[in-house]
Amino acid sequence: MRYEYLTGNIAIAEASITAGLKFYAGYPITPTSDIFEYLAKELPKHGGHVIQFEDEIASINAVIGASWACAKSMTATSGPGFSLMLEALSLAVITETPLVVAYVMRTGPSTGVPTRSGQYDVLQSTYGFHGGLVIPVLAPSTPQEAYDLTIRAFNISEMLRTPVVLLSDAVIAHTYGKVAIRERSEVDLIDRTKPSVPPDAYKPYDPVNGLVPPMACFGEGYNVLVESLTHDERGYYAPRTDVQRRLMWRLYKKIVENSGKLFDYSSTYLDDCDYALVSYGSTALTANVAAKLLREKGYRACSVKLKTLFPVYEDGIVNLLRGVKKVFVVENNLGLYYRELRGVIRDKEVVSVPLIDLDVPLPQEVVEVIKEWL
Amino acid sequence: MAVGHPLDPYLRTDRIPTMWCPGCGLGVVLGTLLRAIDRRIKEGLLKREHIAFVGGIGCTARMTLYPLFDSAHVIHGRAIPFALAVKVVKPEMKMIVVGGDGDIAAIGGNHILHAIRRNADILVVMVNNMIYGMTGGQLAPTTPRGLYTTTTPYGNPEKEINMVKLAAALGANYVARGSITHPHLLEQVFYKALVKQGLAFIEVLSTCPEIFGRHIGLRNPVDLYTELKKRVVVKTKPSVDESDYDWEKGFVIGEFVEKDEPGYIEIYRKYISKAFGGGEE
Amino acid sequence: MRLEILIAGRGGQGILLLGHILGRAIAKHTNLHILGSEIYAAETRGGDSRVDLVVADREEDADFIKVMRADIALFMHQLQLDAYRDLVRDGAVVFLDKSNVSSVPQRNWRIYLEPYTDIAEKEIGTSRVANLVALGHIVKVTSIVPPGAIEDVIKEVVSKEWVDINIKAFRYFTQR
Ligand SMILES: Cc1ncc(C[n+]2csc(CCOP(=O)(O)OP(=O)(O)O)c2C)c(N)n1
Ligand code: SF4
Ligand SMILES: [Mg+2]
Repeated sequence: MRYEYLTGNIAIAEASITAGLKFYAGYPITPTSDIFEYLAKELPKHGGHVIQFEDEIASINAVIGASWACAKSMTATSGPGFSLMLEALSLAVITETPLVVAYVMRTGPSTGVPTRSGQYDVLQSTYGFHGGLVIPVLAPSTPQEAYDLTIRAFNISEMLRTPVVLLSDAVIAHTYGKVAIRERSEVDLIDRTKPSVPPDAYKPYDPVNGLVPPMACFGEGYNVLVESLTHDERGYYAPRTDVQRRLMWRLYKKIVENSGKLFDYSSTYLDDCDYALVSYGSTALTANVAAKLLREKGYRACSVKLKTLFPVYEDGIVNLLRGVKKVFVVENNLGLYYRELRGVIRDKEVVSVPLIDLDVPLPQEVVEVIKEWL
Repeated sequence: MAVGHPLDPYLRTDRIPTMWCPGCGLGVVLGTLLRAIDRRIKEGLLKREHIAFVGGIGCTARMTLYPLFDSAHVIHGRAIPFALAVKVVKPEMKMIVVGGDGDIAAIGGNHILHAIRRNADILVVMVNNMIYGMTGGQLAPTTPRGLYTTTTPYGNPEKEINMVKLAAALGANYVARGSITHPHLLEQVFYKALVKQGLAFIEVLSTCPEIFGRHIGLRNPVDLYTELKKRVVVKTKPSVDESDYDWEKGFVIGEFVEKDEPGYIEIYRKYISKAFGGGEE
Repeated sequence: MRLEILIAGRGGQGILLLGHILGRAIAKHTNLHILGSEIYAAETRGGDSRVDLVVADREEDADFIKVMRADIALFMHQLQLDAYRDLVRDGAVVFLDKSNVSSVPQRNWRIYLEPYTDIAEKEIGTSRVANLVALGHIVKVTSIVPPGAIEDVIKEVVSKEWVDINIKAFRYFTQR
């Protein structure tokens, strides 16, 4: 392990190398281009490939292809590019393709303020693609978390054969911090399960005894089928309700039944708290300091930083907040994740604190808003 | 026991018959392609486990459902970046992209453009039935001008795309046009293209009796086949200038370009190994 | 221990490099934790340039990326001193480049007023290293990081032909 002074973006790039990234495809877009440029220089030293494609659509489809060639694969983009990737993310979901998308949010809608920040795309990050399923979404708020959660994103993608979104934003992208960089041997890395049966007995979508099918790659003699159509365990198109039901429920369950395993958070003062400031990403920094300021003023406030945004671990969140009187959801948008939490927490008041700030919102502003509600 | 077809070893026989309409030209495309593959495998120039099919969406792209190789039936227009990525990670693979004229030349237009520019090591087979077959007869960029389609009910005002010229202009290593009306020639261009490095682009004129045939009043597969055959002119080594795409004047088929420039993978690996002396971990 | 450090000046004064060297030295060569952010109006000369650092001995106290009540501040120009002085708390240690600051506000600060730019130009040979002269002064007065750590970082991040002159500028105060 060694310490470095890195931005959130470079921490993501470094972590992806630690995690064993072998293929990166991308299209330049602010504020992610430095992830791309850094990997273009560094990844080939580790035997990996970095290619600039003609657009984000090509990039994400290439990432899917590379994953089926056994390479751990990633792309990075922001709102405009992620919007272009949605159709292919749906393909990645139904074909159960492990991959990571680093989604560095910037101010929208549309071209917005390309260099500045916001959290407007938090719901799009998991609900944006068609098909009504859930992609795991992890949200760092510091460079160290960007590093740690990137490795975790790769592990989840391999473990559950799913795309995973690492949801950062323009603030974290350019925030510097002390980051503990680990060697490959110092982290627990998960690799997809390979088939244990011979090719003629292999079914690419048969979960055997669990929910996640073992995955063979191209070029190994397994006659793999990557199928975007509704398919049975063999990968054969089967336009039948029973097959559709089986597939949908399994794809849903393999993510949602692992909610507890995927859940990650941190908190301050939670065991002595009436007013919980729940937040994520760069705004979690604001909420955390705001909670401290409120305590200085004599309020029993605390902060909860959610590092896993999706799947929503309903029981876990309810349990976490069982002792508090009121929940404030602090975010740099018009109150989007608030809708998720309002649906989960029904035994107490949940208040949205929607902020719109091109930069990290200042804690004092949050204190002013919340004081009205105390 | 039924007597097997010679191509059975290369087919997921449990998925036959195919979903294609009776008399559809796509069966000829698959048959000739598999025969060419069989010859190359028997010559030892291709390894069966290193052959992969990738297709987008469309009747043509469904060709990926039947061969017994690694296959990907992905999304409309996006087969090429998928295939290129596999090739980059596993250069030993022979990537075959099959797609319709809509899949490759319309929605996938940007990808074919850049794949050719890169001379990406992929065999691209674009089956041109001059229509969107799967979705029921809408305009394709290859639909002859003036034709009535479901989305051009007053006649197609647009000029058709000539993909042969495009591929040649952008520097593909191998550019040919074949036709299902001339299966032996078609097999021969597949046979050649299968061992080309760089990008090999083959446009296959095909018949869609169900949809295109109906649009032009030739619903009977044999009539449409005969009509297409009439319009096909076979030439040995025609020049790209002779590739004009014109339903009225007819279509020249043959090999328009045959070069041996280094493909994308070779050049890419050269740069990486120049920098790192190997580039592999 | 938790310290907020504010470094501000005009574009072209080497503010971002100064901040990066200091931040990196703290992250890599001390047990302290740190978060930091940069602002630059445009990459060209003239606009605001600002680095905010939050430094703490416990990880959970390095908790924000913007200075709200700076404990240590450096202003390399009057414009930024005027713009950001309210971010500096009473009792803070404040370094001012006398070469570019003419009016010092009446504040309850511990002020160090030195002509960093003139020193760089006359003693080191180029005004371009005024930032490192100032950094040397901060390190000398606050002891936030060992001078050797800064010199190591200079060797890592500054292009070769500039290393010696930067170290020379840095030592102007540390070795006095
Ligand atoms: C993004 C997207 N847009 C539209 C469609 C609908 N669609 C499916 S196939 C097709 C066109 C098929 O035409 P072509 O590629 O020529 O193939 P053919 O069926 O003629 O072989 C279209 C428009 C789709 N599947 N995905
Ligand atoms: S619709 Fe046309 S192209 Fe599609 S299978 Fe039928 S005949 Fe063939
Ligand atoms: Mg077609």
